[in-house]
Amino acid sequence: MKDIAPSDPRGAANECPALHGRALPTDGTQLRLSPTLAAWRDEAAATPLQYADGHVGWIVTRNELAKEILLDPRFTRETTRLPMPGDPHADIDADAQESIRVGGPLDNDGDVHARLRRAIAPRFSLKAARSYRAKIAEIVQAQIGSIAKHVGPVDLTSAYAAPISAQVHCLVMGVPDRLSAAYSPIFVGESTLQRKFDFAREALALKQQEPGDDVLSDLVRSDLSPHEQEGLALVVLSAGRDSVAHLISTSVVALLLHREQWDWLGANPDRMPAAVEEFVRVGSLFVTLFSRTAKEDLTIGSLEVQTGQSVSVAVAAANRDERQFDNPEQFDVTRDAFGHLGFGHGIHACVGQQVARTVIAEAVWALMERWPGLRLVDAEQLRPLPFAHPVATHATGQVLVEWEQ
Amino acid sequence: MSLSILVNTSACVGAGQCALVAGEVFEQDDDGIVVLLEESPGGSQESSVRRAASLCPARAIELRG
Repeated sequence: MKDIAPSDPRGAANECPALHGRALPTDGTQLRLSPTLAAWRDEAAATPLQYADGHVGWIVTRNELAKEILLDPRFTRETTRLPMPGDPHADIDADAQESIRVGGPLDNDGDVHARLRRAIAPRFSLKAARSYRAKIAEIVQAQIGSIAKHVGPVDLTSAYAAPISAQVHCLVMGVPDRLSAAYSPIFVGESTLQRKFDFAREALALKQQEPGDDVLSDLVRSDLSPHEQEGLALVVLSAGRDSVAHLISTSVVALLLHREQWDWLGANPDRMPAAVEEFVRVGSLFVTLFSRTAKEDLTIGSLEVQTGQSVSVAVAAANRDERQFDNPEQFDVTRDAFGHLGFGHGIHACVGQQVARTVIAEAVWALMERWPGLRLVDAEQLRPLPFAHPVATHATGQVLVEWEQ
Repeated sequence: MSLSILVNTSACVGAGQCALVAGEVFEQDDDGIVVLLEESPGGSQESSVRRAASLCPARAIELRG
């Protein structure tokens, strides 16, 4: 088997691979990998992919090569900063543009990245995640109380997962009380980037007056420049919230489609941490991660990448790579699912992953405890949904559940 | 020869994987950065230490032996 797929499936030997990229397939669902991506993975570790700007780069579908790429400093994130040109929500003032340039940890490498990441890392350690647990449990129980009032099917995504995720986000970031009601409309609902920046500025100004034990207060206490603080504040207020909500909803869908696992986990709550790894393996929001760009001509494994070429890691495929996981298509909460890329890998690996694990475990467990007979009525994510723009992520969709009144 | 561990605190990105899977050998300081609790842990720790090294997203844990 070749390691690199021919760019043209008919295999024209002398054609330049860079001229024939394939389009990212849209035939997958959250819990069922795109058959096209699975076929590409069988064929090779990497496949030529057509990018939106017209150039042909690569998509990596095997777990081992994916990890090598995410760890390799010869790739950069700096050339594809968001927002992309032409994004209608990206009409922002000049200060905000500068803040995006200097304050985005995912969009910078090396020392700049390290300095930004270290400003926020303290509040996301394992110890910190455990310290939030009691408050997270309170937030979850309040939301259980809220949906318990419903009669008939409830959309778990909008009535449970999203509000829990937003409230935990506000808790950890330290969104001031007087702004917390405005958080969800701006960061969860339809909004503009400018409104998000305005919110971030107001939150930082309030934290300057009344600092607390939270991420935003750490930013105003740090030696970061005002633009760095503002850019970083925008990132931490935005990132991770929808992924956690998605994982809560999607984990419940997976469990209710495998009733015996729902029942087993309900009887074995001590096995929840291992189950959460499996939720993240199969339920990660990302079809592909944010692409990386080669800073030089390079060879990694058997893949040759030219300067300026983009490479995307297909998390959905790498998390179901039989070279890494036995029987990878099977959802199995008893498996050892570590080694998945659901939280990424390399220097940009999810900083909030320990908090995410805590929230997901609490939110799923609370449903099992309260309604062991919970039933899945329907979930939009069982059918292909359009990707979210500009990175290929799965939409969560409605997840309708019901229980005996 | 027993396993010896080196941690690279400047490479560490504070993801907490080592503390999660091998909490008796690794923890995070107040800045979230790795702290090695045991440089040469006993054989019973070996598999969890190897797991921590392989899961570290920044490859900040080096094992010898």
